[in-house]
Amino acid sequence: MAVEDPAEQSAGESARSTFLNREVLAGLFLLASAAFGYYAAYPLDAGSMSGVGSGLMPKSVALGLGGFGVYLVASGLVGDHERVEGFSLRGIIFVLGGILAFAATVRPMGLLVAGPLAMLLSSLADQDTRPLEILIFTACMTLGCYLLFKALLHLPIPVLPPLLGY
Amino acid sequence: MWDLVSNLQLGLSVAGSLHNAALCFLGCLIGTLIGVLPGVGPIATIAMLLPLTFGLDPVGALIMLAGIYYGAQYGGSTTAILVNIPGEATAVVTVLDGHQMAKQGRAGIALGIAAIGSFIAGTIATIIIAAAAKPLTSLALLFGPADYFALMVLGLMFAVVLARGSVPKAIAMILFGILLSTVGTDIETGEERLTFGWMEIADGIDFAIIAMGMFGFAEILRNLEHREARGVVSAKIGQLLPNFSDFKTSFAPILRGTGIGSLLGFLPGNGAVLGPFASYSIEKKLAKDPSRFGQGAIEGVAGPESANNAGAQTAFIPLLTLGIPPNAVMALMIGAMTIHGIVPGPQIISKQPDLFWGMIASMWIGNLMLLIINLPLIGIWVRLLRVPYRLMFPAIVIFCCIGIYSINNSPTQVALTGAFALFGYLLIKLGFEQAPLLLGFVLGNLMEEKLRQAMVISRGSLWTFVDRPVSLGLLVLALIVFIVSALPAISRSRETVFTE
Repeated sequence: MAVEDPAEQSAGESARSTFLNREVLAGLFLLASAAFGYYAAYPLDAGSMSGVGSGLMPKSVALGLGGFGVYLVASGLVGDHERVEGFSLRGIIFVLGGILAFAATVRPMGLLVAGPLAMLLSSLADQDTRPLEILIFTACMTLGCYLLFKALLHLPIPVLPPLLGY
Repeated sequence: MWDLVSNLQLGLSVAGSLHNAALCFLGCLIGTLIGVLPGVGPIATIAMLLPLTFGLDPVGALIMLAGIYYGAQYGGSTTAILVNIPGEATAVVTVLDGHQMAKQGRAGIALGIAAIGSFIAGTIATIIIAAAAKPLTSLALLFGPADYFALMVLGLMFAVVLARGSVPKAIAMILFGILLSTVGTDIETGEERLTFGWMEIADGIDFAIIAMGMFGFAEILRNLEHREARGVVSAKIGQLLPNFSDFKTSFAPILRGTGIGSLLGFLPGNGAVLGPFASYSIEKKLAKDPSRFGQGAIEGVAGPESANNAGAQTAFIPLLTLGIPPNAVMALMIGAMTIHGIVPGPQIISKQPDLFWGMIASMWIGNLMLLIINLPLIGIWVRLLRVPYRLMFPAIVIFCCIGIYSINNSPTQVALTGAFALFGYLLIKLGFEQAPLLLGFVLGNLMEEKLRQAMVISRGSLWTFVDRPVSLGLLVLALIVFIVSALPAISRSRETVFTE
């Protein structure tokens, strides 16, 4: 039945072929994050027990995170675990590209440029996307968002490039 | 007793005003609209729709958000019954018999009994909340900082046990969330922490950024991995109103489900997810012919759906009385309250009685509206279910982008959300669950604050956590919960509960 993690479905056969299985990678990820967190919190003073400083929480949490990282790496090296597979690179590139394009263009160009740009760019993430369909849908969605966020809710979001005097 | 009645009366007069009732209706409607979409759970729905409430007064905004929440919950059940995809963990059980009923052409009755059961459960849960609020609030005022800290530890421990996947990974996610919560200016010393001098996060990372990045966008990335296989039921929806014998078989399961769900919803740390599971197994045990379960037994829809809705509502109790969110959705509600300048906690009930009781009354009104909205509109939801994913995700992208931008009018935060999307996707791939991180993030600041207060009061003695009976009791309970969850037998049965 259905709650399983999709990543877990691909588990099994290829498990033993690598040391860099999911647990080890997860542990390494935690270790790296912990090291980064501790480094960032390093200049902060942990204070004393009666006057807890700003550094105590981030530092101790980072240490704990590192501890779990070590545990995961160790348990990953000992047991059989699945590999990390099936990264959707196409999805990452185009969806994140769409989001970043929105962030870059919304101020200078306004919603009516940034919105469709984000939609069209991110739609490339799915190979099933049909050009005409997505163009029409984007136009409708943009108009809908304009009406909803601008005409109805009056959010202070730029609509068109300021050069056009709007 | 009269207190309760007059309080509810106050609440109804607030929530029943034309303005607020309209907001509640609107919330339920769009909540269901978005919640019905497969792959969009309640967390993503609320995060996505949060900007819609920015222009409203706090009371209206919270009423609308609560409506969105119920709508999203009910939308998830609709999807579970018609498409065989549970939108969220609590609708998983509904899939078992609900989808079978749909295949037999009884989809309408399954949806109908889900709505009726939810309404009954919602009504009872509303009364429970109203009755429990006052005593719990006065209890909360007796809590010292050390007790609060211990309570949060217990809540996080529950969250760990109830999370899917491995216990160490869930604890790591909570720590990660706490670490992220320390980013920004330290409230006590005014020092900037972990910001590297970057002004954009000097106030801390906005909660909505993490929620939308990790639940809205990261889910898209995860869904794009798989080719779409969605079997919307093609059989006729059939009649909606259950007949007398359907109702007779469902009535006791609805009441039992309500009881179980309300009780579990109280628990800190997402006890609500257990409600539907517990209800389903109890109904199966009590049934004369257990083999009907899984083949479209109406009790298998009525009980769990009622438990689901009751738990969804009593989960508000820890939030409203103690200011501690028991699960990720409630964490999101805290984020929303903070945006509107409301600090959740025991002081709300006395300082903002109209907000408090208005929200509670709106829960009941919201449930009534769901019943009214959903039964006639089921045809529309079915059509929505057929919207292909290739159109859905670009729409989610533009909607979330506009939403994030409008929180602070900051393009940088949109980009930051993109970064959290990548982070969330990485966590999914590495087998971490995101919900505990969200909870840790929200509780992090509060825990640190209470820890510091407790330490100042006790002049630096850690014994304060053991000396105080309340905090000692809570910590011992947390320890028991942890040990029990670590026992191999329990952890194995925990796995079967969540994978079956």
